[in-house]
Amino acid sequence: MEELYNRRNTTSKQSDGIQYIQQNHAAYPQKLLCYKGMPKGLYVLGKLPDKTRKSVAIVGARRSSAYGNQIAKSFAKELAGAGVQIISGMAWGIDGKAHEGALEGGGDTYAVLGCGVDICYPSGHRKIYEAMIQRGGILSEQPPGMPPIAGHFPARNRIISGLSDLVLVVEAKERSGSLITADLALEQGKDVFAVPGRIGDEMSKGCLNLIKQGAGLADSPLVLLEALGIKRNVSEKSVKIVLEKNEDIVYSWIRLQPVSLEELVKKTGFGSREVLFALVGLELKGCIREMQKNQYVRTDLRITNGEISGYRGVTSKGENN
Amino acid sequence: MFSSILSATVLGMDAYLVRVEVDICDGLPQFSMVGDLAPEVREAADRVRTALRNTGISFPPKKVTINLSPAHIRKEGTRFDLPIAAGLLVALGVVPRDYAENIMMVGEIGLNGAVRPVSGVLQTVMLARQMKSKFCIIPRDNRGEGASLPGILVVGIESLKELLECLLSPSYIEAHTEALHLWEPECASYSVDFCEVNGQHGARRAAEIAAAGMHNFLMIGSPGSGKTMIAQRMPTILPALTMEESLEISKVYSACGLLVGKEGLAKVRPFRAPHHTISANALAGGGKKILPGEISLATRGVLFLDELPEFSRNVLEVLRQPMEEGWVTISRVNGKYSFPAHFQMIAAMNPCRCGFYPDRQRCSCLPGEVRRYIHKISWPLLDRMDLCTEVSRVEYTDLLKKTENESSARIRERVEAAHRIQKERYVGCDWQFNARLPSAAIKRFCPLNPKEEQLMETAFEKMQLSARAYHRIIRVARTIADLDKEEQIRESHLLEAIGYRQVDQKYWEE
Repeated sequence: MEELYNRRNTTSKQSDGIQYIQQNHAAYPQKLLCYKGMPKGLYVLGKLPDKTRKSVAIVGARRSSAYGNQIAKSFAKELAGAGVQIISGMAWGIDGKAHEGALEGGGDTYAVLGCGVDICYPSGHRKIYEAMIQRGGILSEQPPGMPPIAGHFPARNRIISGLSDLVLVVEAKERSGSLITADLALEQGKDVFAVPGRIGDEMSKGCLNLIKQGAGLADSPLVLLEALGIKRNVSEKSVKIVLEKNEDIVYSWIRLQPVSLEELVKKTGFGSREVLFALVGLELKGCIREMQKNQYVRTDLRITNGEISGYRGVTSKGENN
Repeated sequence: MFSSILSATVLGMDAYLVRVEVDICDGLPQFSMVGDLAPEVREAADRVRTALRNTGISFPPKKVTINLSPAHIRKEGTRFDLPIAAGLLVALGVVPRDYAENIMMVGEIGLNGAVRPVSGVLQTVMLARQMKSKFCIIPRDNRGEGASLPGILVVGIESLKELLECLLSPSYIEAHTEALHLWEPECASYSVDFCEVNGQHGARRAAEIAAAGMHNFLMIGSPGSGKTMIAQRMPTILPALTMEESLEISKVYSACGLLVGKEGLAKVRPFRAPHHTISANALAGGGKKILPGEISLATRGVLFLDELPEFSRNVLEVLRQPMEEGWVTISRVNGKYSFPAHFQMIAAMNPCRCGFYPDRQRCSCLPGEVRRYIHKISWPLLDRMDLCTEVSRVEYTDLLKKTENESSARIRERVEAAHRIQKERYVGCDWQFNARLPSAAIKRFCPLNPKEEQLMETAFEKMQLSARAYHRIIRVARTIADLDKEEQIRESHLLEAIGYRQVDQKYWEE
């Protein structure tokens, strides 16, 4: 069984590039040495996190919502753009989105796996896995060829938190694996931040609890940059965009949680045709996204008085000061 | 003595002439039947002999030979019982030979002499009319389909006694000719209506566009949101049947024996909703005796595939070729058969296995599971769905609301107008509807103004459309323009068509 799994999911090319870095090796992450119970050595595909740069772990639910996905992606993108390394676990949902955002933002990103580094798990993340080997690294304490065993996954969380300077929890249910990472981070003396959600939202309970317990409230990536001591120059580049009247009305009903065409028809009082015109118009302008058939969410473009601005406009200076 | 009676066998959609030849001569008592017969045809010997005795006709101990000519065509079914009985009656001298000449007959006989219904009567009567037979004798239960064509006399009988009377006295025929159930347009009545659908504005509009251009239509929505309800009402907004369409539908139904006990030809468009466990043969047609499948039973009507991802992949692949051509050809060892398949496909599916994605409060599927679910459908098939819309859950207040919704008849008027426009536009073309407009002809029939071209260019880039998706949007926009009775496709038409465009793979990647 184990052999079969390996044959299916590993490529000889990748197993060639795997390094084993022991604790006594100079390249072994210094950050891990100060804690107990850290692995004797790490298998690395790609490179290890740069010691001179700050790193942030972004973790969260696997069954994440559209809101969580978008937040994870845009935060990671913004942080990566400011030179921060993003560390996560390459799981479905928030983890994957964080890696994706970091890659989009042009930064380095590292995944700590619970299986061998030559195994892409989940296999649906093959694309980011390959990209990360080039622009960051895949780390694991498990030897190459180790299949994904459920028991190994919580253990890798201590490495994720250990490698980072700050842990951000994006979406978590009341009892979630991401909270283990947050607890470990607190034990290790790291800052923990959580993204707030709506009260009563199943996916936000864990995060709200964290905030209640004193975690930082991450309402913008700038808060995290500040906590890391990275100075940034805010020069929000605004793009003028003209919304037609109907578009404006329809847009005002769209949130980060998906809204259906039917609901919009009911709320705006327009006919389905008018709403659809407005929606397609907004989509073409890049203000909203159709995440599933006729289910719409806002993109990370912010519109205020007909002006659109995005996180994209933020530039950072003096990395890692 | 020798006799020959006319009958017919049905192969695929059409009837072929079969002569039932009976010879009775002196010799050792024997009853032999020849002519490539299936077991049930051979069993006719016992049925007919017993039925004749029970009708009071004694059967002499003689050598009887029966041949069904042409002898090389396989004969199946129980429809030859009646002509065999008639042939025996003539050969026995009970009925004079010229009394039974040039009469087409089919029917099954029971041991008590009762005549029972068979399939394929419509085709048989059509053949009789074409051959200019004197008249046709059919089982009375088949009289609805048998007596729906002008130009041929049809007598429905219930027993062998009636057969005797019918053959012996010309006055009986006059008295018992079945009244014609002539086909009349506009007499369609459906038991469902679109006014029963509350809310669902987007889906209602999409259904109207789909009907107007005969586009295939996919509905995505959570369980119990009304996808099936909308699909069932699709035939009610399609234009009334024409005589030719009705005949095409009726022939398929007759071949399957589904018109037994019905009055006349098909009046309503078919709605077929096969279960997702259906086999490829049941969908496309086939079987031991080649019969039309669900796609042919849905011809000129609606084929509704609920729970699309649950259908097995090889079953759905079967649909691709008939969807393009409107015909399905089934090749088997004993022949090649073509059945019509001019159906409009309506499909429904859940967004994920539990049906609640993207509502994360209730959906418990992992992103990978959601992706796997949609990937179960073949993309080439999804590529053939022109329109796609979401059907969301109806709220309680909407459910109870007593609003005046638009009725099917009003929608049908608009759809019919759009159909007329298309028929005029595509005179002399191979296709009749926008849905079948080939990509190569799009430039000719759907020219865009610079402003609209600009819009499509933006959409193509922003939404990463494929060439196929681009063409689908233009086709749908053409239909929307036709519904608005406009010659030129405008920006609003394109925008609406884009809103109803087919899902792309990327939606489920999130």
